[in-house]
Amino acid sequence: MTKIYGEAETKVTALDDVSFSVKKGEFVLIVGSSGSGKSTLLNMIGLLDRPTQGKVLVDGFDTSNLTDNEISAFRNEKLGFVFQFANLLADLTVLENVLLPSQIQLDSPTSDKAKEVLEKVGLSDQLFKRANKISGGQAQRAAIARGLVNNPTVVLADEPTGNLDSVTAKNIVELMKRMAKDLGQTFIVVTHDRTQFGDVDRIITIKDGRAFEDERPTELEVIV
Amino acid sequence: MLVNKKGSLIGAVLAVSIGILVINVNSVIFQGIYDAIIRDMSEYRFGDIYVYDEERSTIQKSDIVLINWFERIPNVEAATPRLEGSATAETRIAGQEHEKFNVPVLGVDPISDIRTSTIHETVGEGQYVYARNSIVVGESVASDLGGCSQSGFFMSGGTDPTVTGDRGKDECQPVRVGDSVKLIITDQWGIDQKKRFVVTGISGTAGGQGFDRSVIIHIDTLRDMLDRSGESRSIMVRLQESASPYDAKQIKNQFLQAFPNDNLKAETIEESAESTLSGFRSGIAMINLIGYFGMMSSAFAILTIQMMLVNSKTREIGIMRAIGARRKDILIIFIMQGMIIGTVGAGVGTAMGLGYTTYAKVTKMEFQGSLALEVNYNWQKIGETAFLAFILAVIASIYPSYRATKKQPVEAMRSV
Repeated sequence: MTKIYGEAETKVTALDDVSFSVKKGEFVLIVGSSGSGKSTLLNMIGLLDRPTQGKVLVDGFDTSNLTDNEISAFRNEKLGFVFQFANLLADLTVLENVLLPSQIQLDSPTSDKAKEVLEKVGLSDQLFKRANKISGGQAQRAAIARGLVNNPTVVLADEPTGNLDSVTAKNIVELMKRMAKDLGQTFIVVTHDRTQFGDVDRIITIKDGRAFEDERPTELEVIV
Repeated sequence: MLVNKKGSLIGAVLAVSIGILVINVNSVIFQGIYDAIIRDMSEYRFGDIYVYDEERSTIQKSDIVLINWFERIPNVEAATPRLEGSATAETRIAGQEHEKFNVPVLGVDPISDIRTSTIHETVGEGQYVYARNSIVVGESVASDLGGCSQSGFFMSGGTDPTVTGDRGKDECQPVRVGDSVKLIITDQWGIDQKKRFVVTGISGTAGGQGFDRSVIIHIDTLRDMLDRSGESRSIMVRLQESASPYDAKQIKNQFLQAFPNDNLKAETIEESAESTLSGFRSGIAMINLIGYFGMMSSAFAILTIQMMLVNSKTREIGIMRAIGARRKDILIIFIMQGMIIGTVGAGVGTAMGLGYTTYAKVTKMEFQGSLALEVNYNWQKIGETAFLAFILAVIASIYPSYRATKKQPVEAMRSV
């Protein structure tokens, strides 16, 4: 994929011919310095933005020709998101926030699944607290639960520990890894601090818009 | 989830409510005045059906025949003949001629008139006409005859208002019950007929639809003075309370079919009042229009509030879109919010309007402290106003809803 912003003199190449694949159940880190293009890459994978060139395939499905409504539905069913600041809706309870993705689906399950996921992330006693009344760590757990509730193909996390203290960050990392292991969930995590994550399946480094696997300038062309 | 800014929503609801309340208040006051005038015109002058001769100044047919015809109909309460004329009125106080000027004269049959009209209830001082030489004087006439004002039909300034007894010299003193009034009426042959009357009552009404500027005497006395035995200017018909305007039209039409060759014209109160009130009706329509413009201002207030909500919830909208909400889902959320504002606003506004209407009705609210408003619940208008408010609230939410869907999720989530 390539992503270019602007034109002529203001042209900026955020991503330059990045290509890689992720297998089911893998825990992949995308690392890079600030402004390297890692969040842009995540937005492309998450269909929150369209590449200038290239495509994203999820479970073998080419997403490049989807309409806006189809993209929304695809995001809801196949992708889970965890943002840096949790991005919960402050006026809803923890349970209601986690239920949101399944409520958007018309044939969605009841709150049982949401409660189950919240129990897995350790928030079963916080179900009915408003999102603006819980700690940062709890909010991030709730965000992870929201990302998992629809059994997505892949969970995309953009700097999930960026706003947390080291102890809480560590707990969140452990949680994500446990979810990956217990549920066989695929995680693609963007971070500027790989040391927080320790041992993972793969690390892709983004530097000046180009991707390097495991710090070696290797370009793989296996489609996700 | 995207809409919980209570203060803004309360403001939007209030905007709708106040718009409806203004329209209701306008309706109570101005429609109330209009209906009060119609009421008074009906009760004092025209009744529910008013019959007169289209071509001549008096009805040639016997009024007894016509009245009997009406009173046989079940919906008719009563009917009464009336005769009108013009006279020069003079007072004499302590043997001295006081004031004189021109006044309209109304001749009534006291027995049937009190069943047909409510003019007798306007006699605040004294009592209604009962004898052939009794006269009820309108308040303005009583005042003018006493030299208290220069208004109305004051014609002759010839005689100085000389008074004796307990009235001081050059002192204004309205005519009172027991005073003597002389009427000079020119009959149909041009001959002046004079007769002295004893004032038995003073009549006063609010709103000017009564006979404040006239005098009322027995119809037979007036007939004698005009030399028009058995004749009447008009027949006033009162229907029963349960009768509707449709019934009035039906009876009117039946009457005209029953007497096709007598040059008689019959009008319902709406038809009689038409020329008098057409200008007033236009004024009411204009005031109602202003009220509806006020409601449109409420719609702009809702639009502004909704835009503010969209802007303040941009990040949340981005999150919703990121986790899979479609543009349509976001649109529906804000339009639903508009529907809630419209529904609650219409409900609150209608309740406030009904409260004001009930208050006006129960307290017999008066216009300028005199004319009692005729307050009615116009359910059709109430429903239409509430529905219009609801629709405007929804329409005002469409553009903000559309704006809410335009931003891309990534862009939206960057908002603070």
